Amino acid sequence: MNGSRCLITGGSRGLGLELGLAFARAGAKVAFTYSKNDDDAADAKAKIAAAGAEPLVYKGSVADAAHAAKTVDDVVARWGGIDVLVNNAGINQVLPLALLEEEDWDLVMAVNAKGPFLFSRAALRHMIKARRGHILMVGAFSSERIIEAPAHFAASKSALRGLTDSLAREVGRYGIGVNLIAPGLLDVGISAMLPQHRIDEYKSQCALGRTATAAEIAAMAVFLVSPRNSFMTGAKLAMDGGL
Amino acid sequence: MGPVATERLINVTTSLCAVCKNAVPARIVAVDNDVWMKKTCDRHGDQDVRLSNNAEWYERTRAMRPKPAPPATIRKEVERGCPFDCGPCKSHEQRIRLPVVTITSSCNLDCPICYVHNKNTGAYHMTAADFQKLLGHLVRDHGGDLDLINFTGGEPTMHPEFLQFIELAREAGVHRVSICTNGIRLAKEEALVQRLSQLGARIALSFDTFEKGADKLMQGAQVLALKMKCLELLGKYDVDTTIIPVMTQGVNDHEIGRIIAMGLAMKNVRHFEIHTITYTGQGGSTFDRRHRVSMFEVLQRIEETTGGLLKTTDFVSSPCAHPLCYQIAYLLMDPDGGAPVPFTRFMSRETLYDCLSDHLYLEPTGKLQRAFQESINRVWSEGGPDGERTLALLKRMLRDVFPPGKAITREQSLRASERAAKAVYVHSHMDEETFDTERAYQCCDSNCYPDGTTVPVCNYNVLYREKEHNFSVIPKAWNERSGGVMSFP
Repeated sequence: MNGSRCLITGGSRGLGLELGLAFARAGAKVAFTYSKNDDDAADAKAKIAAAGAEPLVYKGSVADAAHAAKTVDDVVARWGGIDVLVNNAGINQVLPLALLEEEDWDLVMAVNAKGPFLFSRAALRHMIKARRGHILMVGAFSSERIIEAPAHFAASKSALRGLTDSLAREVGRYGIGVNLIAPGLLDVGISAMLPQHRIDEYKSQCALGRTATAAEIAAMAVFLVSPRNSFMTGAKLAMDGGL
Repeated sequence: MGPVATERLINVTTSLCAVCKNAVPARIVAVDNDVWMKKTCDRHGDQDVRLSNNAEWYERTRAMRPKPAPPATIRKEVERGCPFDCGPCKSHEQRIRLPVVTITSSCNLDCPICYVHNKNTGAYHMTAADFQKLLGHLVRDHGGDLDLINFTGGEPTMHPEFLQFIELAREAGVHRVSICTNGIRLAKEEALVQRLSQLGARIALSFDTFEKGADKLMQGAQVLALKMKCLELLGKYDVDTTIIPVMTQGVNDHEIGRIIAMGLAMKNVRHFEIHTITYTGQGGSTFDRRHRVSMFEVLQRIEETTGGLLKTTDFVSSPCAHPLCYQIAYLLMDPDGGAPVPFTRFMSRETLYDCLSDHLYLEPTGKLQRAFQESINRVWSEGGPDGERTLALLKRMLRDVFPPGKAITREQSLRASERAAKAVYVHSHMDEETFDTERAYQCCDSNCYPDGTTVPVCNYNVLYREKEHNFSVIPKAWNERSGGVMSFP
């Protein structure tokens, strides 16, 4: 990834931060967005810098079209282009259907589905011009398997499957790869606050018998967005330990 | 002459003579709507005691069968019969859900309602080495899943190393480490409360009354101001707190609603554990018998004095113990200060009972999660009184437990789930008058010893403690009947 110009949405903590660190260690330039927590962002910035890449940092909601356009334009202005976009930012709400209201649906779909569309569209404008690039969607195993998951979250992550397929087909002719990685339970993010019995249940059903580390997912992501991935597009990789 | 009350036999059991504590056969009978225990000691004659004011409730409750959960380790052969072979013996039917560790014989009060024996001169303090042995036995017997331990005394804060004991228990992975206290030392030492908060300890504070007369009668001193100061500090340092009132008929039973209201308004108060007055030990054995109150009467007083916030039907037995020992209600809290909603208003009593079957307190298990899921769907699809508000409160709880877009730890999430609800436990201990071996061999609360021995708490309070040098200035001896003859001849 030497010199590869990468933008990660939701990069201030959890898997997003791990992606930034892995990209930086692989020699990439890193930019990331975050939505609210300035302290987390400052911490992530310092860690990524220590890993070898002084990052560009942007605050805003991924569901805000102006923020998406402005962020991508600024990255391109500073670095002369954009090679990699990782649509990582996402939100989850633990809600059964009975408690799931329209505003909950709209919020989750806005962040998890509309956000990746907005950022992909903004980035592809430059990638198409450059005739190269990689987009990586961060899905979830709840769109790959029939498991207990909030309906709006599962639907939003399933939307990314369709977006991946459609974009892969539409921009493949420009040498741009669009793929999706669907992690299982991780040691970060919402997984880290699930009750122990949910973790135990996952482990009991998973072939490898454990949850994943964010670093394991990031290692696969490095390959998917690197020049070494020259012929994989439209792929959906479930990294769930074998559910 | 009016109609003669007729007795209807409910069951027969083994009890104790209230005077010599020998095992005696006892009949439990319904007389009109009351339930009485009747027994005869060869030497001390006929004895009877009223067990309940509601025979229908008593029989219906007693008919429930706890989930079988025998102790992990049997430490005593059956030789003399229940309750004289505690260790536990092979007859015991429940494993320990509430391990009680008596760490000191020293106490800074001399309460007229005290149901244990204490010794201040040459006081006993459990050593750290003994506690570690005891802890090791408990952890092994619980298969590494020891979720709860309770320190008591005497007054456990008078033990010079009790903070170290808390640390040791926390290091052993115990989730709930509680200290039963009268709160006097805590009221006077703010730094100690702060330290307890840092250690994640839980305080079980005895609190019986707001009234001076009742305070003096029950505590033997005016301690209300100190209790209030203690509560203030526990709130200030956000220490998870259980309020433990002892209920007596005619002295403080009219105050139970006020005590519950106070605790419901305090964010750090997690539980209430209401005990019925017990006539044993250094104080209780001579307390005025007119104040005896039965389990169902306490439930009635709760309903009367909380304005129906809690009804008698909101309580279920614990599946971990004899059904007459615990009555349990859980309340879903309204963070905006509205009236809490008892779980039984949106969840069936059977479901709540089932959710309590693996632990004495509700834990965030898969079973509880499914119960909530089904209850939410039921209220949503079938409606019901206060249904929309209940759903809104449940949604609020889920948002606190799993805050969207915010990373919290599993421990923080668990704490948020615990803070979303409060529990009212009514616990009826037995004394030599009400002693019933049917209840004793299904007890899940036990006093624990460094050699691994465990004794159910009522057996311990009534029979065992007074025989121990650690707690009695002049220890009593086992008498002929209890020491050498089977209790079931």
